[in-house]
Amino acid sequence: MPFEEGRTTTMLRASGITKTFPGVKSLDRVDFTIEGGEIHALVGENGAGKSTLIKILSGAYVPDEGKVEFDGRVVAWTGPRQAQEAGVHVIYQELVLFPELSVAENIFIYSQPLTRLGFLDYPTMERRAEEALDRLGVHVDVRSKAGSLSIADQQMAEIARALVGSVKILVLDEPTAVISGREVELLFERLAVLRASGVAIVYISHRLDEIFQIADRVTVLKDGQLVGTWPVRQVDHDRLISLMVGRPLSDVFPPRRPIRPQAEILLRAEDINVAGRVKNASLTIRAGEVLGLAGLVGSGRTELAQAVYGGLSFDSGKVVVDGKEFVRTSPRQSIEMGVGLLTEDRKGEGLLMNLGIGANIVAPRLKDVARGILLDLATEAKICSEEIGKFGIAAPGVRTRVINLSGGNQQKVLLSRWVRASRRVLLLDEPTRGVDVGAKVEIYRIIRKLVDDGYGILMISSELNEIVGMCDRTLVMREGVITGELIGPQITEEAIMTLAHMR
Amino acid sequence: MSEAVLRRKRPEDANFGYIVERHGLLIFCTVLTVGALIFAPNFGSAANLRNVLISASPLGVVVLGQCLVILVRGFDLSVASVMATAAVIAASFDADNPWSVIPAVLLSLLMAVVVGSINGFLVTRRKVSPFLATLGVMIMLQGLRFAWTKGAPLGLVTKFIRLVGTGTFHGVPINFVFLIVLALIVGFVLRRTTFGRRVYMVGGNPRAAELVGINVDRVIFSCYVLSSVFAAIGGLVLVGYVNAVDNWVGRGYELDSIVAAVMGGVALGGGRGTVLGALIGALVLTELFNIVLLLGLPVQVQLIVKGVVILIAVAVYLIAQKTR
Amino acid sequence: MSEAAAAIGTGDRSLIARVRDRVPPAIAIEIALILLLLVIGAALSEQFRTLDNLANIYEQASVLLLVSLGQTVVILTGGIDLSFEGNIALTGSILSGQVHGDIDLLMPVIVGVLLIGTVAGLANGGLILLLRVHPLIVTLAIASVLQGAALLYTQRPIGGMPDGFDSLAYGRIWGIPVGSTLVLVGFLIVGLLLKYTRLGRQIFAYGGDPAAARLVGVPVTRVVLFTYGLSGFLASATAIFLVARLGVGNPVNETPLNLSSITPVILGGTMLSGGRGGVVGTLLGVLLLQTLSNLLNFLEVSTFYQWMIQGFIVIAAVASHLDRRRRRA
Repeated sequence: MPFEEGRTTTMLRASGITKTFPGVKSLDRVDFTIEGGEIHALVGENGAGKSTLIKILSGAYVPDEGKVEFDGRVVAWTGPRQAQEAGVHVIYQELVLFPELSVAENIFIYSQPLTRLGFLDYPTMERRAEEALDRLGVHVDVRSKAGSLSIADQQMAEIARALVGSVKILVLDEPTAVISGREVELLFERLAVLRASGVAIVYISHRLDEIFQIADRVTVLKDGQLVGTWPVRQVDHDRLISLMVGRPLSDVFPPRRPIRPQAEILLRAEDINVAGRVKNASLTIRAGEVLGLAGLVGSGRTELAQAVYGGLSFDSGKVVVDGKEFVRTSPRQSIEMGVGLLTEDRKGEGLLMNLGIGANIVAPRLKDVARGILLDLATEAKICSEEIGKFGIAAPGVRTRVINLSGGNQQKVLLSRWVRASRRVLLLDEPTRGVDVGAKVEIYRIIRKLVDDGYGILMISSELNEIVGMCDRTLVMREGVITGELIGPQITEEAIMTLAHMR
Repeated sequence: MSEAVLRRKRPEDANFGYIVERHGLLIFCTVLTVGALIFAPNFGSAANLRNVLISASPLGVVVLGQCLVILVRGFDLSVASVMATAAVIAASFDADNPWSVIPAVLLSLLMAVVVGSINGFLVTRRKVSPFLATLGVMIMLQGLRFAWTKGAPLGLVTKFIRLVGTGTFHGVPINFVFLIVLALIVGFVLRRTTFGRRVYMVGGNPRAAELVGINVDRVIFSCYVLSSVFAAIGGLVLVGYVNAVDNWVGRGYELDSIVAAVMGGVALGGGRGTVLGALIGALVLTELFNIVLLLGLPVQVQLIVKGVVILIAVAVYLIAQKTR
Repeated sequence: MSEAAAAIGTGDRSLIARVRDRVPPAIAIEIALILLLLVIGAALSEQFRTLDNLANIYEQASVLLLVSLGQTVVILTGGIDLSFEGNIALTGSILSGQVHGDIDLLMPVIVGVLLIGTVAGLANGGLILLLRVHPLIVTLAIASVLQGAALLYTQRPIGGMPDGFDSLAYGRIWGIPVGSTLVLVGFLIVGLLLKYTRLGRQIFAYGGDPAAARLVGVPVTRVVLFTYGLSGFLASATAIFLVARLGVGNPVNETPLNLSSITPVILGGTMLSGGRGGVVGTLLGVLLLQTLSNLLNFLEVSTFYQWMIQGFIVIAAVASHLDRRRRRA
């Protein structure tokens, strides 16, 4: 029964949901209802609280405050199993599929039909799996290995898994992140079929145009709070974006200087292609300028920066530094050319947790602390205390291992490393992620000073106010492609979001 | 959602976990030694202590090499085979000719470099797991060696090697002195040379090391070569002591050396540990075996002890990790 | 393999596409190699060509078949069992030592020995779960303990088996070796278990992706304990077969069983990373290696060279990307 205003059967009602993690309030008194036979879209920026809400609905998290009513009765689920049994199924972006098991086996992974003797009842399993897939209009051999299916069909298999478990509420987290074109249309057709049979669908997506195509209602979250819920007919594209971002710019950014005339180009990347992640992207980094690189998670920003630096290899394109052209980059080469990269994942790709602050700071330039093959630990210690002073790193001592530092201080160590190792070009990927406000302000100050001294800095960030506050120019990416460039006053959160969602 | 800001425990917050991690081995060693002095007959006698040092030395040498490989997140199961092969090579030369020690040693080292290179190649270029790579190489080497010797034990090695193996210098066994010298060199290299720093970087976080411009493959490759070289040296030291050479020289050393290193704080995950710790681990292991014999227990109990010790050491470190 | 399935859909799928989809490349290669070896052997040696020789190959395979069966299941869960040598040393020695030729004691001791093996296996599994340590370390440690216990029991082969016990190893009915056929039945049972029971599917799921498996509610404890317990059981079964062949149990292992149990598994396409492969591949792998060694024996290549070749085969198999290291979750 398709959703109509006024004729509702509320399947799930969440009221006053609050969830706090150490240091962060992820959800703050959020209300959320799901009606039978509706497609309810959930939107918000990165970090708005969408995935936390979903995890609570699916039973993976327990809310600190608030209650959840399912079918009129209050439920207190302590695990995903209970939610599944009630009929709530979540399909995450990372598919939980076992590529070596067959499609039918995957569909029935939660509980398999057995014969009287206790063996797996394959005929029944395969028949019911086929039926479920047919309902979705998918025709594949249920006996083939799940890994051999296309991603779109794998997604269908996960949905089929929910179907055979008699689903009432189906949550889809960014389902179109990995499919496109015709597959998306097929997905929508199938979702419509499900809706017609009374299944409620929660649809999380950054692609606002899709939401207007398929959803009945839309809920906007912002910084863990509920902005509001409206029937889709009552909002339009621009209004939605402004609802998602409207936030006053705080006073944390150093004052902006007027735009300079064409300054020297320090680095130029042309037509960089990284298979499946970056398509024909080009950028130029000029002296004295902070170039922002914005876009949604997965839009290819990190891959582009890594390709330019040499942490990832690119299939075609070239990088020009100091007048020299390179069709291949490598970290060693970049460091020699004076280019540094502060990675997004500081624990996985940046810090050497087993070593001390000094070792981490001098890491790209061991020859600074070496005489021949011998390490000059005294020099290292000296450099270390200098840098600790320069960057304001709060550490008990020079020999402290970085694993004992707070996130903000760890980030400062990495920043110090790359400022030392670079000669005018710095690529910063999420430089203030996981850093408290005080440290953030300091980092902004450092960046601004570098730029005033003639550095050219590329700054990737998912925090829009940061881009607006710090950057002189901004490129926006979407699905591997640079969709636009904003200069000076053109850089606003709305403009960035628009370009980030543009097809 | 922004990452939660975590505050790490400061070194001042000592608790069980912290104490175990930093000083556990030393504590265990002290307790063990004291206990042995009290309960095991003759443990403290000069002759026995000399014995312990002499038998710990070959293991210690091998452990030095194994240390390097474990530091870069691998391990080397081929060391025992390399030891035996080095011994066999040395024994093939004329035992009465003192000059034969030069080609004997050189050839053994050459063999070690080749074997280590194969290991290194498989692990870095072919991305084979260290387990399979070194195991396969071990078997191949074994087969080669047996085929060449036709399975029969060989003769003796030259006087020089024997001297190093069994001689004493003011009461201290020469091979132990030799071990200490080697250990000092390796320790120095690890702590104070650029190569050593790179080893710790690669072991701690290979991806981060790559991104700061280090040639990760080359570092790992070198460690495997060094491990084989040390194994060969260890094999020569061992036969100097044991004097009879057969195909099974060094049997069990692959596991023993890994256990000693792990006990000594060289974590299998890589990037952590010191030469000193590993050596103490080797000493402790040898001490344990020695105590077993002194207590009159059959030698097979050593094996059981070895197994139990591994498990206990692992369990303790695990608990230590959890309470940090 | 995949394109066929996805692109064509149900219904009209050509036979070739179906076969290509079903038969993994490793198995195809194995079959091809076995046939190749048979042809070469038949061409080179008169004696090789006889039916009796083929039966010989099959007969000698029994021991290897048993150990690699256990190892297959363990590797499918992403682990490894290196305690075979210790297990077999202990259980084999106890078997011949306790029976001492007395036929009345035969069955009780066999049962006892199988129990010991299973308990050792369960200890492996339990410690792996408890200590959260790589199975490599745990099984090696247990191997040490078992080996020590074996040597404590006896330093040399002792005891003996009653007359006729060697028929387990050498007996034939209508020319077909009995022992190996029994083992084959074991293969069948385990294969069916892996394919047709919930537990079997859970083993694959856990091996393929332990984190995802936990998410979907796979009972990890049960899976691990069963796997290693089965492996321990099969190890002691192997000891029984070995004793049947040699007449007595040996507290010291002469052959590199650890590598021998792993090679056929890898050749058969079961990946060390887990979640992929099966018993059929292992079975063919054993037959392949056995045929090879039989042929090499006829060509009078010494055992030592054969070891070398085996080591080389392992390296070649893994170096040619049949197996890839995978970062474990």
